[in-house]
Amino acid sequence: MSVTKAPAMRWGAAARAARWRPGALDGLAAAAVLAVLVVGAATHRFFTYANLKAILTSASLVGIAALGLTLIVLGGTSVSLAISQTAAVSAMAFLASQSWGLVAALVVTVVLGAAITGLQGLVVGYGEANPIVLTIAASFAITGVATWATGGVSVAPTGGGYRHLNATPGGLALSVYLLLALTVLLEAVLRRTGFGRVLHLVGENRRAAHAAGLPVGRTITVAWLAAGAFFAVAAAFSGAFNTSANVNLGGTLTFDAIAAVLAGGTPITGGRGSAVRTLAGVLLIATVSDLLLLRGYSTGTQIMVKGLIVLAVIVLAHVRSAKGRR
Amino acid sequence: MRWSVVRRPEVLLPVTALGVTLVAFAALPLHTGEALKPFDVYNTLQGFARLAPLVLALGLTMFAGEFDLSVVGSYALGGMLAVQFGQHSWAAGLALALAAGLGIGAVQGWLIAVLRISSMPVTLATYIALLGLTSSMSGGLSKTYDNAGVTLWVDQPIAQVFSPRSLITLGAFGVAAAVLAGSRWGREIRAIGGDRRASRVSGVRDDRLLVGVFAASGLLSAGGGALLDFSLGSANPDPGVQPLILAAAGALLGGVSLAGGRGSVLGLLAGAGAVALLAEIVTVAAVPEYVAQLFYALLLAVTVAVEAPGLTRALTRLRARAASTSTVHPSPVAVGRAEP
Repeated sequence: MSVTKAPAMRWGAAARAARWRPGALDGLAAAAVLAVLVVGAATHRFFTYANLKAILTSASLVGIAALGLTLIVLGGTSVSLAISQTAAVSAMAFLASQSWGLVAALVVTVVLGAAITGLQGLVVGYGEANPIVLTIAASFAITGVATWATGGVSVAPTGGGYRHLNATPGGLALSVYLLLALTVLLEAVLRRTGFGRVLHLVGENRRAAHAAGLPVGRTITVAWLAAGAFFAVAAAFSGAFNTSANVNLGGTLTFDAIAAVLAGGTPITGGRGSAVRTLAGVLLIATVSDLLLLRGYSTGTQIMVKGLIVLAVIVLAHVRSAKGRR
Repeated sequence: MRWSVVRRPEVLLPVTALGVTLVAFAALPLHTGEALKPFDVYNTLQGFARLAPLVLALGLTMFAGEFDLSVVGSYALGGMLAVQFGQHSWAAGLALALAAGLGIGAVQGWLIAVLRISSMPVTLATYIALLGLTSSMSGGLSKTYDNAGVTLWVDQPIAQVFSPRSLITLGAFGVAAAVLAGSRWGREIRAIGGDRRASRVSGVRDDRLLVGVFAASGLLSAGGGALLDFSLGSANPDPGVQPLILAAAGALLGGVSLAGGRGSVLGLLAGAGAVALLAEIVTVAAVPEYVAQLFYALLLAVTVAVEAPGLTRALTRLRARAASTSTVHPSPVAVGRAEP
């Protein structure tokens, strides 16, 4: 991918935030949010607690996976195209290890997801391998090994501990609380820790970060490791919800997660982006899909609008950052 | 000199991939106990016709250093348009599919060229939108194609092993190869893939080329989808991710670099051929599907290793160390070639 990065392209997020003045594009974004709210008000049952719950629940699993992907994108290592497959085998491991108890099963799942993705991060970070090709290869390898190991049949839970993940404390799915908690946690890590700052720099300009003596390989590996843990957490919930898992469990998770990250305005070239942005992207897609559903549009239309939202955000975010550069 | 040409990834990868799969295909009788029939070759070519348009479409954008994820979206939409509007006249359906693919591709190319955005997010968004559009056209259901005459015609055997569908697909490769070799476009597309800024400075109209490459990609994908759905006698609104992944595998095995600037139409042909042969081997030998998947993983792992500068450097260091400890004089050719 030809990514042209001018050296003096950006003056730092802090400097930009200080100079931030609402421009035409921010007005456009505000108008879009307003339009959603107005159409929502005119839609029967949109502003109800039950519907809000539905939006949050539908956003939660993709959201958790998208938070993980945010780390990969932020570090300038493009995207992983093996999220669905990683989630599928993680969910299989989660259900298969239920007999050891819920906590042990969760540990197994997270370690597996982190190990699979972290191994790819190692090759991307230290070997400078192309993440797209590598993750396509990984997706074949993961599915191949998983099919071989299970004989191609679905994995059933070996215990009942997984049911706790389907709990709805306070009427909201547990995964929604977790999505919000993980967003706060990730945002804090990205803003406040040395790892977060180095990841931004690596994503902004890998060569410069390397020249500055920053631990480029290690940072990318850790980012992918953590991303895998996020994918595994989403997978555990997905496995618990479906009570069975096979190699197709991941479904369209890969592209849903990428769409969510992009809809949050995070550029795929790295160096910029945040957990909160990704959360906003997930919620935007979930809200608009819900609105279309309530107004009786087909699944196809919902998917089409999702694509158009992502496209619009990409173009707007790009035009805006291009303006900021001048 | 000859060896150094063969060692280049754009030659080595397709030759190896096609060679290995051809040998495996030829060795099939050892496994099944039955001699290969022309029908096996026919089937391989049918599988080739199914996937190869996507390999060519994706490969062309990869020459230019871009990556068109929307090929499967145009593929699905092209098929659906051809089936829905071609019930009475296949030509009308096909023309509509081709026009849609061309238009969508051109608009994407224009966005990418004018805004200088990375193509992956743009084409991913288009991919999602096109799948949604296709699905909403048929209410999420498969649409049957009732014009049985067309279905029979596109798959009728020609000279035992070909069909109009596989011949048209091969023809598309021929046209692409001729156009890229016979004009300066081939060189220029690889130039903008290799170094966009340098080629722009030297007078290459990269914006026009990008629009052209993406338009060609959309045209090929939509045309491939239309032919496939004519052959299947139905249009499926969601072909899944598998065709895209296989097309990417085919293009990469064809020796195209994701970094751009490298690859040839002949390589893409070999890459698509290798993937089609592998699918046929899996079917005929009744090999478990996971073996094929692990084989793809292995082949792609090789392409990853070939392209990773960090791995190449590590390998070079190892070789240098081995050379310095051994008494054998190190050959200058053995030192890793730096990737552009």
